[in-house]
Amino acid sequence: MWLQAALFFAACLSPAAAIYSDEVDHIDFHHALLGTPSPDSTFFLKPFTSSNASLIYTISDKLLVGAVNPRDGALVWRQNISRSADSPAHGAGLLRGLDGNDAVVAAVDNYIASWSAQDGKLGWEHRVSEGVVGDLELLELEDATATSGVRDTIAVVASEGNGIVKRLDGNTGKTVWEYKDASGDIPFQVSSSSTEVFYISLHSAMLKGFKIKVTVLDPLTGRQTRHQILNSEADVATPESVLYVGANSASPIIVWADKSQKSLKVNVIGTKEVTSIAIDNTSGSGIRQITVHAPHKLNALPHFLVHFETEAGAWAEVYHVDLVSAKVTKAYRLPYLSGQSAVAVSVIDANVYFTRVTDLEAVVVSSASHGILGRWDLQKPSSDIALHSVSEVVAKGKSVAVRTALFRKYGDWQLIRNGQIEWTRHEGLIDTVAATWAETDAQEDLAHELEVEGHETLYGAYLHRVKRHVRDLEHLPDWLKDLPKRILSSILTDEVSNLDSFGLAKSVIVATKSGRVYALDTGNHGAVSWGIQAVETSDWNVKAMLTSPGVVTIYSDDGGSVTVDVSTGEIVSRIEPSTSKLHSIAVFEIQDGSSLATVGVREDGTPVAAFANEDGFLVTTSIDGRVLGWAAKDNKTPVWEFVPPSGQKVVEATARPAHDPVASIGRVLGNRSVLYKYLNPNLALVTAVNEQTHTASFYLLDGVSGNVIHASTQAGVDSTQPIASAMSENWFAYSFWGDVDGSESSAKGYQLVISELYESPLPNDRGLLDSATNYSSTAILPLPYVISQAFMIPESISHMAVTQTRQGITTRQLLCTLPSSNSIVGIPRPVLDPRRPVDRDPTAAEAEEGLFRYAPYLDFDGKWYLSHTRDVAGINAVLSRPTLLESTSLIFAYGSDIFGTRATPSQAFDILGKSFSKLQLVLTVVALGAGVAVLAPMTRKKQVNALWRA
Amino acid sequence: MSQARLPPPPPPQWVVSLNSPMPRPSKAASSIPDPPGFSSSRGGKQRQQQQQQSITKRPDETDALKMKKAWEIAIAPSKQIPMNAIMMYMSGNSLQIFSIMMVLMLFKGPIQGLIGINAAFAKYETPSTHSRLLGVKVVYILMQLALLCLGIWKVNAMGLLPTTRSDWLAWESERQPLERAHFAFR
Repeated sequence: MWLQAALFFAACLSPAAAIYSDEVDHIDFHHALLGTPSPDSTFFLKPFTSSNASLIYTISDKLLVGAVNPRDGALVWRQNISRSADSPAHGAGLLRGLDGNDAVVAAVDNYIASWSAQDGKLGWEHRVSEGVVGDLELLELEDATATSGVRDTIAVVASEGNGIVKRLDGNTGKTVWEYKDASGDIPFQVSSSSTEVFYISLHSAMLKGFKIKVTVLDPLTGRQTRHQILNSEADVATPESVLYVGANSASPIIVWADKSQKSLKVNVIGTKEVTSIAIDNTSGSGIRQITVHAPHKLNALPHFLVHFETEAGAWAEVYHVDLVSAKVTKAYRLPYLSGQSAVAVSVIDANVYFTRVTDLEAVVVSSASHGILGRWDLQKPSSDIALHSVSEVVAKGKSVAVRTALFRKYGDWQLIRNGQIEWTRHEGLIDTVAATWAETDAQEDLAHELEVEGHETLYGAYLHRVKRHVRDLEHLPDWLKDLPKRILSSILTDEVSNLDSFGLAKSVIVATKSGRVYALDTGNHGAVSWGIQAVETSDWNVKAMLTSPGVVTIYSDDGGSVTVDVSTGEIVSRIEPSTSKLHSIAVFEIQDGSSLATVGVREDGTPVAAFANEDGFLVTTSIDGRVLGWAAKDNKTPVWEFVPPSGQKVVEATARPAHDPVASIGRVLGNRSVLYKYLNPNLALVTAVNEQTHTASFYLLDGVSGNVIHASTQAGVDSTQPIASAMSENWFAYSFWGDVDGSESSAKGYQLVISELYESPLPNDRGLLDSATNYSSTAILPLPYVISQAFMIPESISHMAVTQTRQGITTRQLLCTLPSSNSIVGIPRPVLDPRRPVDRDPTAAEAEEGLFRYAPYLDFDGKWYLSHTRDVAGINAVLSRPTLLESTSLIFAYGSDIFGTRATPSQAFDILGKSFSKLQLVLTVVALGAGVAVLAPMTRKKQVNALWRA
Repeated sequence: MSQARLPPPPPPQWVVSLNSPMPRPSKAASSIPDPPGFSSSRGGKQRQQQQQQSITKRPDETDALKMKKAWEIAIAPSKQIPMNAIMMYMSGNSLQIFSIMMVLMLFKGPIQGLIGINAAFAKYETPSTHSRLLGVKVVYILMQLALLCLGIWKVNAMGLLPTTRSDWLAWESERQPLERAHFAFR
């Protein structure tokens, strides 16, 4: 009865509930990630000429250009330029910007684009037809041709051995001039001083190594004025040997070291002399890395810092360049300190400051003298290695304040302001390959006790329960102590924000490609609870993540696994990888249901071991596109094998989710008759494409017998576009890009097809099996009655999932990831009903069922967007999980960004909304009580008086 | 001592005038017409006596009269049927407080009528009419049943009777497969 009532209730509510703007950031969270920032393309920049506020700009290894607010670490804007380039795999991207210039210019491969620094709007884009952009510089110098506002860009293009230097107009991106270098030198970099543009190329020496060739160009015309060749062939063996090429400086420098790293060679660009400076290595160990930090500003003092890193420590030396004589002299030395350190340069007017962040402290020095201007102890020293940093120094009278954005090896991007960590962006999450919901062991004890009670006699169970409740009394004082606070907080806060006890605050464990494991707390805006390096690898191919109370086990394709404690992040146990590479991992529930067993599946689809589960059948896919069925205890020969027709290739296979409760086994029609659902938990939907004939076939298989239960083929399918599919209950859905040009109908575009399976086309008919309580798939079974309908959708769907609720009473939503609009949409199932009447209005009975007229074009309603207006980019998979509230399903999406929210497909019918005010209710009751207390004696008196008067 | 006893006080004026007959109205007063509904003929006692005399005089006539009255009562529910039918038709089939209340009233009337059937006909129950009243009671029961049927029709129209397959759907269970397949697709 209650079920019926709840069903009725759920049906009464409108199927679509939108995310309201006041719920954004309240019920959902979003980690807008950038990836590993590139060390030489990350900088603080003041985009506004009027204000002193600055943003951090970077281009990441994922070719995302972004601006981050240094105050809270929020992403201001972000652009993905990997989509625009022809072959973005070509190396790292470049990003340049100048203070007071409202444009940042980025380049990757053959693509150069300029964005407004304030809001990330595209200024211009320029595609180089000849080759690949090698270097990029913004021209800070003002010349006669410079128009107001935006500065011009100088780019070096490497094109089949020839170098091309281009000057691009800052406002339009059009080529102002071009200089072609046909000498066959390797184009290397571009640089500029206040009067000249330098093109630096590497000229192959006679025997080996490279000579550095500097070609001086006139910034106005691009004509070559002179050139110099530096004798560097003994030291420079590869382009990487050149440590640094300065730009936008009064005296830009080229720095390289000799092979033995005994001395440093410095050349002021445009001059012929090379100054050799001996490296004074007192640390006793070899130098691992030398980095040069120099200001990128024309009016800054020509000072630079060389940072030497050894395995155990680091020191730095500061040098001054004489503007007139182009002599380089050593000024002072920052002492050797063991541990890691990162140095950044910042400029205020003409003064240059260096910030050095070590494991324990942050120090600011001026380039002019070695006096320490500011020193702060780090509040939380990190063991994570600092890779590179950028900083911004603010001078307040004599003292200075500094904020440093430090990127650490394990993907944390931290802002340290005066020694304190202001925020941390976990950029390592961008590589998330697998995720799962953690099970805490808090309720495990209770579940165990209840199980004990379930297995005992009535009397024994009763005694057990009484004892348990008596034991629970020990928590009573604490509970009573908490009570006033709980009541107060429940009155003051609204219900929506206070649902953690209903299983809405779950921990999500994610594993990244780089071998890291993070725990995100969905109850706390997805904050990272812990992050560990589980495996030292750069390509961790996680195949399965299994949770049991308290721990999560992560299986990778090499046969190894890591078990991690979900609350602390400690590695509990580890199984070393075996030799064979695994294609997938099969998960079995052991009979008592308490734990899970796994069997690896090889690439040819055979299980590694026979599995112990007696009545279990296993369905696997092989790498050559077959689907295989296995019975227990035999991992040699499959029971059945599904091979698609020749020419077809299996691309995807899905099954119903493990938790997929069915609230009602039939569908009640308008005349109160029942259409029975075809429910079979062993169904698998296999997608196969034929690239030659452009068809896609969808096969519905019985996982036990291997029988094809239903098959449909779509013509004109573009197999290069994503084909997504999902299954739940008695229906499945898939989407593809199709171009059907048939005689009866033609459609071109993205299509979403939904099919529902019923036992029989007739109402009130359960088919041949009728009311049998069980059945065997090995017998000859009647085929389901399938109703399908196709919808045209506006964009492609890359991944599909279905919302899961506790009992399945709530209507489901089809969760679709839209890669082109970077959003996640939840399409309500009633909209995707194949029984919607076609070409006619619904009859009264159909309308009562909730059916409305079929429209072929299904536009995504704004209310369906679970991601609201957020830009949720690069999502590979969406997870759903039921909560203790039937109305609510938790959603977690990962891939590139991380996004989590709650879905309430039938609205939140079991919680009080925001408009319900407990305070108002309490006040009303109190006011009524007070009114009664005051009026009751008055009325009584009046009545007695009336009696006397009569 | 007996002399000491005072004579009884004279009766008050109102007692005297109550006991003495009304004075003859004066000529002028007799010309005033009686107010409508006032009968100047002598009190009800006499008339009752006369009626009783006539009833006792003719028992078969009183039986016939009783039967007539009983028939009227038996037929009375049928007069409600058209009104109730229209009301039920107009109130719609949705589950609302008014339609539910109306349906409840519709059920309450006939059931109460059926329970109180003997009380309803007790006035007309005499040894002589006893056998003839049976038929009347049957008709009365039929009429009440007709009203009940109207209520049932209404309840059915509102979809409250478990007459369709969907009403028993919750008691039907999903067929369980004997074998269970596990999928390793990822």
